[in-house]
Amino acid sequence: MTALTPVLRLDGISKRWPKVPSPVLADVSLGVEPGSLVFIGGANGVGKTTLLRVAAGLIAPDSGEIRVGGLHPVRDRRAYQSRVGFLPAGTSGLYARLTVAAHLRLWSRLAMLPRGRREHAIEATAACFDLEPLLERRVDRISMGQRQRVRLAMSFLHEPALVLLDEPLTSLDDAGAELLTGALGELAARGGAALWCAPDPAGASFDRSYWLEHGELTPA
Amino acid sequence: MSYPFSFVTPLVSAMFGVTLFHYIAQLVHAPTVGTPDQYFAYVVVGIVILGVLTSAVGTPPAVLRQELVAGTFERLVLSPFGAVRSAVCMMGFPLVRAVLIGVATLAFADVAFGLHLRWPDSLLAIPVGALAAVAFAPFGLAVSASVILFKRATVVSTLVISAMSLLAGAYFPVSLLPAWIRWTSDVQPFTPATELMRHLMVGTAMTGSAWLDVLKLAAFAAVLLPAAGVALTGAVQMGRRRGTLIEY
Repeated sequence: MTALTPVLRLDGISKRWPKVPSPVLADVSLGVEPGSLVFIGGANGVGKTTLLRVAAGLIAPDSGEIRVGGLHPVRDRRAYQSRVGFLPAGTSGLYARLTVAAHLRLWSRLAMLPRGRREHAIEATAACFDLEPLLERRVDRISMGQRQRVRLAMSFLHEPALVLLDEPLTSLDDAGAELLTGALGELAARGGAALWCAPDPAGASFDRSYWLEHGELTPA
Repeated sequence: MSYPFSFVTPLVSAMFGVTLFHYIAQLVHAPTVGTPDQYFAYVVVGIVILGVLTSAVGTPPAVLRQELVAGTFERLVLSPFGAVRSAVCMMGFPLVRAVLIGVATLAFADVAFGLHLRWPDSLLAIPVGALAAVAFAPFGLAVSASVILFKRATVVSTLVISAMSLLAGAYFPVSLLPAWIRWTSDVQPFTPATELMRHLMVGTAMTGSAWLDVLKLAAFAAVLLPAAGVALTGAVQMGRRRGTLIEY
């Protein structure tokens, strides 16, 4: 039996912030295989978001290698980003006066989906996150939980191979959390994978879990 | 209503400026700018070009700053479309709006104060204006790069716009400047753009060859545009290395 090629491969990732004595990430290595959901937990400020941002290509590590499907985040930027969906922590990243449908249309264009695929992708993602009743509503006029579903939808819309989730349950009710579980199930079924960071697992089930502390990643 | 107002407010402001200079022009009797009507025509074109410059240099960095604060720049960086192309696209709407406001300002000056636009020569101002916009664009991209690095939008753009309005002949001929600083009018695209547009639209005499000014604009665009692209790409990469790309 051959080992599956990881969707995400982090090798020896280190990152140190200026004027901070210890590194936020110290020689972190991780492989995320197709079809898997991986959890990384840890206290506030240990570097979970930094690790996700490194994986997303937002932050360059001081040393180490990152690959998504064998692609480099800078040299293969466009192809790399088309394979990654990223949900940042918090509630930002939306245009207050745009409707939900406008957000999904905008993202489908930014994701450079072929014209013929856009409408289907928008409809499928809106259905997946139960956004159809909200499509014509401005995002500043819907609830925080509904906004989180819009942000999640934007992370899944372009059918990425890897979804990076930073505290995805923020503001979500039980129904919203179930929708996310369903989306992750569909992602895994088509060979994708997800990396979920949060202080604790909050009842969700994962294929593997790790704990980040003092810059080091250890199996939980 | 906020979107229509984003067009109406600067237009009303430009109309006030045109009206103000109509009366100031009545006081001007100087051989360097001709009759009051000639000075009025001179300054109206300056106001229009300054509006385009402000849109190219000032608006995109301010929009980029808003995107950083709102957290939406992160989406642009992480999209296949990318941060650099997104920053370039941020120039599109402000430039189109500035051109429309410029046309409306000229129409107002014509109807209200009898500004005589030259026809059909004024039509040539369209391709020249497009070339000028391309020549101004690198300044906006460079300021956008500085926003990514230093997180401040208005400091650099205000300096650039203020300097251009003083040194490039928007309100008075650069020949009035002291000799020690006059050279600055030759090392930026605003002066040739203004001179060409004035010549085409209101018939102000050229101080040199029109083709030389066209060549200058093309050269500024050809040299500065790739350089600004490199600066913007470099700023994004430096932001990634520092981990400050999406900080605000």
